[in-house]
Order: sequence, then structure tokens, then C-alpha cells
Amino acid sequence: MDFQDSASEAEVRADARAWLAANLPDAEARRSMGYGVADEAAALALAKTWQARKADAGWACMHWPAQYGGRGASPIERLIFEEEERRAGAPTGFFEIGLGMAGPTLQAYASEEQKASLLPRMLRGQDVWCQLFSEPAAGSDLAALRMRAVRDGDDWVLTGQKTWTSGAHYADYGIIVARSDPSLPKHRGLTFFFVDMRSPGITTRQIRQITGPADFDDVFFDEVRVADSQRLGAVGAGWQVALTTLMNERLSLGDVARPGYEELVARLRMSEIGGRPALEQADIAARVTDWHVRSRGVAFTRARIITALSRGQEPGPEASILKLASTAMFQEIADFATGLEDQGGVLLAEDRQAGVADFQFAYLFSPSFRVAGGTDQILRNIIAERVLGLPPEPRVDKDVPFNS
Amino acid sequence: MQITPDHIAIRDTMEKFIAREVTPFVDDWEAAEIFPAHELFRKMGDLGLLGLTKPVEYGGMGLDYSYGVVMTEALGRIPCGGVPMAVGVQTDMATPALARFGSDALRREFLAPAIAGEMVACIGVSEPGAGSDVAAIKTHARIDGDDLVINGAKLWITNSLQADWMCCLVNIGDGPAHRNKSLVIVPMKSKGVEVARKVRKIGMNSSDTGQIHFDDVRVPRRHVIGEEGQGFTYQMIQFQEERLWAAASALGPMEAAIEQTADYARQRQIFGKPLLDNQVVHFTLAELQAEVEAVRALLYRATQLYIDGEEVTLLASMVKLKAGRLQRVVADKCLQFWGGMGFAWESPISRFFRDGRLMSIGGGADEVMLSIISKKMGILPRPAAN
Repeated sequence: MDFQDSASEAEVRADARAWLAANLPDAEARRSMGYGVADEAAALALAKTWQARKADAGWACMHWPAQYGGRGASPIERLIFEEEERRAGAPTGFFEIGLGMAGPTLQAYASEEQKASLLPRMLRGQDVWCQLFSEPAAGSDLAALRMRAVRDGDDWVLTGQKTWTSGAHYADYGIIVARSDPSLPKHRGLTFFFVDMRSPGITTRQIRQITGPADFDDVFFDEVRVADSQRLGAVGAGWQVALTTLMNERLSLGDVARPGYEELVARLRMSEIGGRPALEQADIAARVTDWHVRSRGVAFTRARIITALSRGQEPGPEASILKLASTAMFQEIADFATGLEDQGGVLLAEDRQAGVADFQFAYLFSPSFRVAGGTDQILRNIIAERVLGLPPEPRVDKDVPFNS
Repeated sequence: MQITPDHIAIRDTMEKFIAREVTPFVDDWEAAEIFPAHELFRKMGDLGLLGLTKPVEYGGMGLDYSYGVVMTEALGRIPCGGVPMAVGVQTDMATPALARFGSDALRREFLAPAIAGEMVACIGVSEPGAGSDVAAIKTHARIDGDDLVINGAKLWITNSLQADWMCCLVNIGDGPAHRNKSLVIVPMKSKGVEVARKVRKIGMNSSDTGQIHFDDVRVPRRHVIGEEGQGFTYQMIQFQEERLWAAASALGPMEAAIEQTADYARQRQIFGKPLLDNQVVHFTLAELQAEVEAVRALLYRATQLYIDGEEVTLLASMVKLKAGRLQRVVADKCLQFWGGMGFAWESPISRFFRDGRLMSIGGGADEVMLSIISKKMGILPRPAAN
């Protein structure tokens, strides 16, 4: 494992840091363009401006080929910029799904003409993309999805419901996987498309989440016509295309979820309990030490993934380990921190000074990390089967026709 | 603690009342972040549900505390935590000291209408600088002839936007922290009582929470409950019921969460079979149910000793600690099996997750319970002399 930037990596990091320092809007402006703020339309407009500025300077999706707006940078250089971007507190929420998942899927499967027209707009933030995968009866078991796609001349007609689709209500396009042949086993009868979210027959309904805001949607398809030219991959190959999308989700590694260990320690340094500095209290120190150990484990696991990327290798299942370990810790820390504040711990943001309610929000938000992008249970199955080599879970519905 | 046909009759009354008068309105009250306390309490008062354990002379039913526990468990059928908490404040947090130590006149004036549901009560202990650390409160009452003149502030006060009176812990004089406190009934319409703001919380949204300021609030000295200077002791006694109540109030929602999660997991198909058929799911729910029963057993034991006249601060603190911790675990583990649905605001499990965080904080945080238990075990170090 290599913890140091190579000379060229260090140069990218220094450039990124300098550019962000010179160009990033101040904290106040960043908050108003963040994901999940009250005036979503205004936030999106500001975020688009910022994305375009990044694109002009060559930082947006720098690992994409130059003809689509990138600069052909290596995965590790991309990661370095993203690390610096997050460290500087730059908002990225609106575009993560498009750039991290839809973009790579289009690059792998769309026609050259489609790539040339869609990818630069996506990269500059002109079009926002969403990902239409989960359904009311298909979450972890994605291949159980029921959205129907019926061939009709040069079109397909899509009918059904998607859910938990982040940003569907403001997205311009979506990538979608649907069932084109229910007589085949569940993984084999799927076909993948991209759709214009303003097509007739699409309606969205925002879902309010446990934290209060409504970032994601139910999306209803009522005989929505999609041209066959918008099919990505072969008819019946939707599962393989979806795996490409999900693989890229794991590669857009993200940073340690915040507020986490470092923020907790910073908070504790300022806290007194019963007239004594909080960190001098042994029970608190013991818990903090435990999280310190685990946060190092998380950091090193992440470093292994980065090292693999840096050497041009595909990371292995350590991404599953990373997510499982880090989300559990994120939740424990948020829970602990809300308790630290005594009864203030249950207050909402607007009743507190700016920035102090981060842990309350994190506590409410934490279950989503354990559900989204592979539940804890799915990750444990992956670790059991691919890391430990344990026998796979019996999957009784795998080889029978979906409609049987 | 024996469950008799009388207990079951009270539980049935409570459950029928909830189905008719509470459950249909809970979503609206949650959205409004307040519920109509006077209207609801009046209806409960008419059925005798606000005074089960209170003296008959003041309209109560004079039953032992086991009936209070059974009623509180039944309150858990309400699909939110805020309304049960408001009822608990009325029956088990703001009124026990008044019922036990208040003068006859004071009880006629304030306890009887609280039992009848004509008045809404709140309990004023926590302050901006003193939540779990009760001895550190700063609210002060000056003696002025036959009156007390109160200055200070109370924070996180449940029911306080609607309350008619507060059972308020104040300092009178400058004696030692454990001997200068009194519990005083403060009518909320008194001049100088100001509801400074409504507090918004991550959960318990149907219950109103306020910050209250006292600016030269004048109340008659006869509003002091029992003896002046005994307030700390009375509050510690009153806390026993508050903590038993808190544990009892967690049982119903925990069982409802386990039951609803099992139902959901039974219907939810994943990888060709019901989610519930995964061993990790049904074993998890089975273990949670076992732990809920363990908390119930501890609660019933503490309740029986309390009925027998013993001081149960130790057991009440233990059961509040375990109920608060378990409630968080149940909420989190159950939510996980709902997947994305668990993260949606509307799902019952997400409300339970939000509401459930308070139990380990309100009425003395987990850490306070641990300190009390340590002290009672004789293992708490003495504070260093300054």
C-alpha cells in the first residue's frame, strides 16, 4: 500500500487545491447551493453555474475523454481532485448520479452520436440525470423489477413504477432498466434505456424522507414511448448494463461520510461535562479511542482501493468492507454526539447555531447509508461469498421464468 | 405484579379510546406539531384515565401503580410518541408530588382539574444550564410577604404552549443545592410568564415543547408543594414515577415496531422468498422481542416494590436506562428491514426512529441513570473537594 502521492499526483493535488482556493464560492454561498436546501430550484441553478466553471477549468470529470469535455486523467487523479473538492466543502450533490453512474454507462453503451451530444452537456451540468432502478417490490433484489418494456415498431412502451429515485423531479434524463421478456429467468429478461424525463406519461411524486426534506421521488411510467435508439446494450442484456452502472457507483468512492470521527473529536475538545473537559472523562475517551482505531481501519481500506486504482487495477471487494464498516461507525458517532448535548440533542437545525446541528441531521440520515447502494445485509453476503468463500445464499428464483 | 381482569378492563378502555379519539388524528397533529391537549384530556378525564393512581378525594381512582403501568403500556398503541408523552407529563411527571405532598387546598385547585382533564399541566425542571444536572438549576424565588416572586427560565418544557399550570422547581434562598429547592405550582397565565419560543425537535412532533421565561412572576406562597426546601427530595421521588412511566411507555411502541416489521417482512419478497424467511431477519426480531420482555420483567418487579412502599430509584433508573437504549436498537434494527421504505417520512418505523431518540435523553439522560446506579451501588467516586 502506498500512502504518499507520487510526484505527478502531488502536482495535481497542489493544482486542484490552488484552483479551488481561488474559485470556490464562500461558505454562505456554498450552503445555498447545497443539496437538500429549502429553495431547491435556486440551489440547482447555482450548482449548475459552479459545475460549468469547473468544466471550463478542466476539472469536471477530468478522467473522461477529451471529446466529451474531460482531459483523460487517470482514476487516481480524479480521486485526488474529488478529495480536495470535498475537503474544501464544494457541493457536488446534484450531479453525482449523472456523472458517476449515467455517464460511464453511456460511455460504454451509447452510440457515438449520442455520446457527443449528451455527455458534454451532462459534464457541464446543463442536463441533470437520474437513475431509475429501484421499484416498490425490487430494492436489494433489483432483478425482481417489474417495469414493463414492450416493443412497438421503432419504439418501446414503458409502464410501471420506480421509487427512491433521487432528483427525478428536476432531472432532465434518466437511465432505466425494465423487463422486456417476463418469460425468461429474472436476470435475463431485462433491457436498459435512457429516457427524456419530460416524455409524456412520466409523472413524479416527491417522497418526504426521515430527515424532513424530499430529495427523492416515486416515478410513474404510463405508456411512455422510448425510441429503440435509446436502448443501451442488447435486448435482454439489461442486467449486464446495470452491473456496469453499479460498478461505477462503487468507483465513485466518495469520502468518509461527515460529520464523523474528526468532527466528533473537534466537538469534544470544546465540550465540558460536569465542569471537566469531555475528553478527560475515561468512558468518553475509551469510546473515542475505539472509533479512532476503526477510522484508521477505514482509512487504510480506502487507501488500498486508491492504491489499486493508482496502479491501474480494479479494486476488489474491499469497497463492500469499507462501506459496511464506515456507515456503522458514522451512525454510532452521530448517536453518541446527539446524546452528548443532553436534551439539546433532539433539537432541529433551525433552533441551533449554524453548523451545530450536523450530528442531529446525521443521526436521522444515518439509516439511509445502511440501506442505499447495497444494504448492510447485501454487503455481508458479498463479503461472505467473495471474500470468505462461504457457500452462496440459496436463490430459488434464479433460474425459473420470471412470470412462472 | 399481577395482571387482573381489572387491569385488562382498563387496557381495553384505553385501547378503544385510542382507536376512536387519537389514532385517526395523529398524522394531522404530527404535521401541526401540536395536538389539542384540552380537548383530548377532557375526554380522557371523563373516562377516569388521567387519575387511575390518584387519590379518590380529588377525582382519582385510588388504584395502585400497576394500573398506571398497564395504562401506559396501552398508550403505546398510539402511532406516535408525542401524544403519549404529553399524557405522561399530565399523569406521571407533573402531578405525583402534588398528589402526595400538596396541601388539600392546592390539590383541590390544581390536582382535581388535572385529573378531570380540565387543566393541562407541565413540569418545569430543566433549564438552559441544567438539564440532567437538576441540582444546578438557577430559577429563583424571592419571598415577598405572602407571595413568591420568580425569575429565571425553563427549557424543553413539554405541554408548555397549552398548559394551565407548571409544577416548577425553584430555589428559595441560598442554602445548599439539595435543601434550598421547592416545587411550586405556577399558573401559566400569571403576569410575567412568557413562552419565549416553540422548540422544534427531530421527533415527538405532535407534542409541543417550549422555552419559558419568568420575569418577576408573583405566585402565592401557599402554592409551594409540601414543605419549602424539600423540592429536590420531592422531585427525586417524583422522578421514580417519571422513569417507571418512561420505561412502560417504550414497551408498546417497541412491540408494535417488531410486529409491524414482521408483517412487512412477511409480505416483502426478496430473492424468491419472503424477507422474513431469512434467518438473520427472524432471529433478529426474536431476540429483540426477548429483550423487550426482559425490560418488561424489570419494570414489573420495580413496580411491585414501588406498590409495596419501597424506594425504587435504583430499579427505576435501571429500567429507564435499558428501555431507552433498547428502544434505539429496536428502531434501528427494524428500520433496516424496511429498506428504503424505512427512510420515508410517512412510514411508521421512521416516526418511531425519530421519536425514540428522546428516551435516552429526557427525564435524566442515560449517563445520569448510570451515575445514579453507580451511586446506589456504592461505586461512584466522591467529587474532588475544591
